[in-house]
Amino acid sequence: MFKLSRKTLINLILVCCVILLVSNFLSCFKNPAQKIFKPHLSFIDLVKRELSGVIFYHRNMIQAERLQNDVDLLRWRLFDLRELSQENVRFKNLFNFKQKSPLHLVAARVIGRSLDSWSSSIVIDKGRYNGIKSGMVVISPKGLVGSIVESTDNTSKVLLINDPNQGIFSIVQRSRQEGLVSGTLGSNLIMRYLPDEAQIIVGDIIITSELSQIYPKGLLVGRVVNVGREFSGLNRYALVKPIVDLASIEEVLVIIP
Amino acid sequence: MKNLFFLLTIIILATLGLNWPIFLNFFYCKPDLLLIFMVALVFYTDFKTALIFGILAGLAKDVFLPWALPINTICFSIWSYSVYRFGRQISTEENYVRLAVVLAVGMLNNFVIGIQSVSTGNIMPPGIFLRNLIIVSVYSTLLSPLIFKLTKK
Repeated sequence: MFKLSRKTLINLILVCCVILLVSNFLSCFKNPAQKIFKPHLSFIDLVKRELSGVIFYHRNMIQAERLQNDVDLLRWRLFDLRELSQENVRFKNLFNFKQKSPLHLVAARVIGRSLDSWSSSIVIDKGRYNGIKSGMVVISPKGLVGSIVESTDNTSKVLLINDPNQGIFSIVQRSRQEGLVSGTLGSNLIMRYLPDEAQIIVGDIIITSELSQIYPKGLLVGRVVNVGREFSGLNRYALVKPIVDLASIEEVLVIIP
Repeated sequence: MKNLFFLLTIIILATLGLNWPIFLNFFYCKPDLLLIFMVALVFYTDFKTALIFGILAGLAKDVFLPWALPINTICFSIWSYSVYRFGRQISTEENYVRLAVVLAVGMLNNFVIGIQSVSTGNIMPPGIFLRNLIIVSVYSTLLSPLIFKLTKK
């Protein structure tokens, strides 16, 4: 019924052997064959790509525009999320500080800054309704910020420590040397009325004194960056860098006595 | 209608001054937008309107400053009158003359406020005094064409 001739059978076996042999040595042929084919295959692919680029130019353009819009949107969202994340960290710090602090604190947001360059003040979003009154002390988790000079029902004006009208009776934490810290409108504060023999060096920490009528004792004011002699020659002065970055402060805490 | 627009402009400029972005500060100084507006009012409106809104602009500034003395209200009314008188003496039609007037008024205003601050015993390094005197005035002068255009409309 199904009978193979001897010759056919030998041929079949031979073909199978050749196939087996070739498949066994296939890997040896792969590398040189691909090397030979690569240049013109790449060239053809390039031509094909360029041609499709020309043919589908309009479609690609629309697609690119859409993708660019998506990228812009995602970039904006990322920026938004980063801002939220930073705000979250700040609020977390404020909250932790408020929880740990023995003082009665009211958190407020900065809604405005000084209108001119001759004063240094901020406007906060809490006022008399929240128990804030003139003379109260304003701090941040890092240190002293200023004091309330005016309060309305919903807002309050804070005189920052770098305003020249601000005077804070302070001491050097290390040597307990007393002096009066006031603002200069610049980036540093000035500690005045230091006697000639005052023990104060660069790097000393300045804190509020217990003799201060307004400020509670021990609030961090800043760090000494320079010590000099006053023009009169009678006293020395120290330039103090505020611990709090007053130019970019966004949230503050008001101490309710 | 025009008065309402001027009032609205004062509110907008005061709000802008209060929330002036830090990156737009020039040597840590911000321009005095309300002062420019006060000078622009003298140039583009009648004296009565300029004086009234000049005083209002000064008042808007003093409301947000931590001082008890309304120094800007007083100064703005004086500058309004002075610029008006000065404008009658010489021609202020040319743009550069107007800019020079803004610069002069800016410097005078800053000088008066600075002297007032120093005379009350506040310590202010000469560098900061000069910075506030010159940079603020120059910055305000540079921005004045924009406010002039707004007031003219």
